[in-house]
Amino acid sequence: MAQAPEGIVAAANATGVDVLIAEDSRIQAKMLQKRLLDAGHTVRWGENGALALALARERRPDIIVSDIEMPEMTGYEFCKAVKTDPALRTVPFILLSTLSDPIDIIRGLDAGADNYVTKPYEPDYLLGRMESLLATPLAAADDSGDAMLEVTLAGQKFRVRAGRQQVLNLLVSTFENAVSKNQELVVANQELSVARDDLQKSNEELTTLNAEISRINAHMVRDLKAAAKVQRSLLPADDVEIPATSIAWKYVPCQSLAGDFLNVFPLDDEHAGLFVVDVSGHGVPSSLMAVTVGRFLTPKVSDSSLLVRQATDGRVSVVPPAEVATQLNKIFQADEFSGLYFTLLYGVLHLPTGRFDYCSGGHPALVRVPASGGDVEFHTTESFPIAFVPDVEYSQSSLQLAPGDRLFLYSDGVPEAMDKDRNPYGDDAMAACIAASRAASIDVGVSTLLEAVENWCVPNGPLDDVSILGVEWRP
Amino acid sequence: MDQFRRIQTGKKGDIHLVLLKDKKILDDTVLDEIRTELTQLIGKASGPDMLLDFANVEFMSSAMLGLLGQLHRKITKGQGRLKMCGIRPEILTVFKITNLDKLFSIHKDAPTALATFT
Repeated sequence: MAQAPEGIVAAANATGVDVLIAEDSRIQAKMLQKRLLDAGHTVRWGENGALALALARERRPDIIVSDIEMPEMTGYEFCKAVKTDPALRTVPFILLSTLSDPIDIIRGLDAGADNYVTKPYEPDYLLGRMESLLATPLAAADDSGDAMLEVTLAGQKFRVRAGRQQVLNLLVSTFENAVSKNQELVVANQELSVARDDLQKSNEELTTLNAEISRINAHMVRDLKAAAKVQRSLLPADDVEIPATSIAWKYVPCQSLAGDFLNVFPLDDEHAGLFVVDVSGHGVPSSLMAVTVGRFLTPKVSDSSLLVRQATDGRVSVVPPAEVATQLNKIFQADEFSGLYFTLLYGVLHLPTGRFDYCSGGHPALVRVPASGGDVEFHTTESFPIAFVPDVEYSQSSLQLAPGDRLFLYSDGVPEAMDKDRNPYGDDAMAACIAASRAASIDVGVSTLLEAVENWCVPNGPLDDVSILGVEWRP
Repeated sequence: MDQFRRIQTGKKGDIHLVLLKDKKILDDTVLDEIRTELTQLIGKASGPDMLLDFANVEFMSSAMLGLLGQLHRKITKGQGRLKMCGIRPEILTVFKITNLDKLFSIHKDAPTALATFT
């Protein structure tokens, strides 16, 4: 239980004084009322100046605490009414003001207020002010209040009616308010200073973390670049030349690392191998699988090559495409962890005769453009993607090319390329595009198809890797 | 009740009914979540019967096929049956190109598919 301030007790000659509150905010009033009741005072409350004035006339309070902004009758009007009422004029009057404008002081003076407490206030501070005000009661005979005072403020002259004691009280309270606000400012400043130190510390930590992220990022970028370089090694050599053929290819990964790759190379004096591989997904896992698959699809005789094998007599033979696919499927037994798989179209072209043996592992059909001028044809073998179904035997088919015939191998990024409304480019558009450039070189044919796909995907660009490999047989 | 974010599940007898909630199954995160949720659903049960409903799916990356392959292997290994239904023609094309329409048991809609679990 809070002890009632000594001054108030002395002034009232009792445990508490009779306080009248004028306040339109119910919550503010209740809070103040509770604090005053706790301090042992009697409290009455009027919701505006008019109601409070009625209460004051009903029973003379020992002190009045009034808000300024209120409906019906403002705090100034209420104060003036009290101070011009002979029965009430000596009741100390405290105005609760935001004191945002110096004019407020003049208004308070004019209204005859004895004291200001700035809002928001600490209840203890208000109690202290009440105490000091009650300790220096206004002399009932102080009739100097009738004298007119002239005050100049902000270039404006004001004439106010105020007594000396009242002016003194009001100015002292204004000064005290200023001192109190100043102290609050000092405290706030100290808190701000602490907060600034904290901020600076956080900033330094952030800078450190940022540097760490940059470092890790640089590391990752370097690794990605290295990986992309490894991946480029899976693509046809710049100087690849195969007798009796014209070759062109395009490869556009949609991220820095791709799941697609393609190659074309001589297998021996009479055979050329060509393939397009599309590992499901994108990014690091897919590209790692692509690189691993690539190790097995090399024309160089080695332990890992599935494309050529060397007999004990040293003779090198070309492995049929279906066997290559079957072996790959054995090696990449369905990966239970990642769910990665790949599609493959691998073919072997017999250069002297134009016989093309090929095998598809769930890959989009290859396209033949007959030199005769006939319709573009789609060819495929029916089988599942690689690393999808364990222990599948893959089958192969053959095409007999005529001189000048062209073959196009590609990844699904071509026909499934989506425009902004997610319509696929489609097999028909692809076939039409390939047919339209049949009179031009194979280079132009491949470039034209890539351009068509990229135009289809404007403005988003392809969302999948795009691989195109074109071969023309010219014996 | 609805413990999964990517799939809605129910049961008809011993058959797990799984409806894929997503319209688009394109990015790896969605795919990984579907994989995790299906694994949680099957749990340690050996080879349950399952009907996977694609009715909501409008776009699907081919990486989803890999997930279906995993699921198919897991279920058939335990003598269970995996059937699929509600696949849109555009998406069915992806199954056809890869010949997986021949590996998987694909049906028009849920009632037709359910009738084949005898």
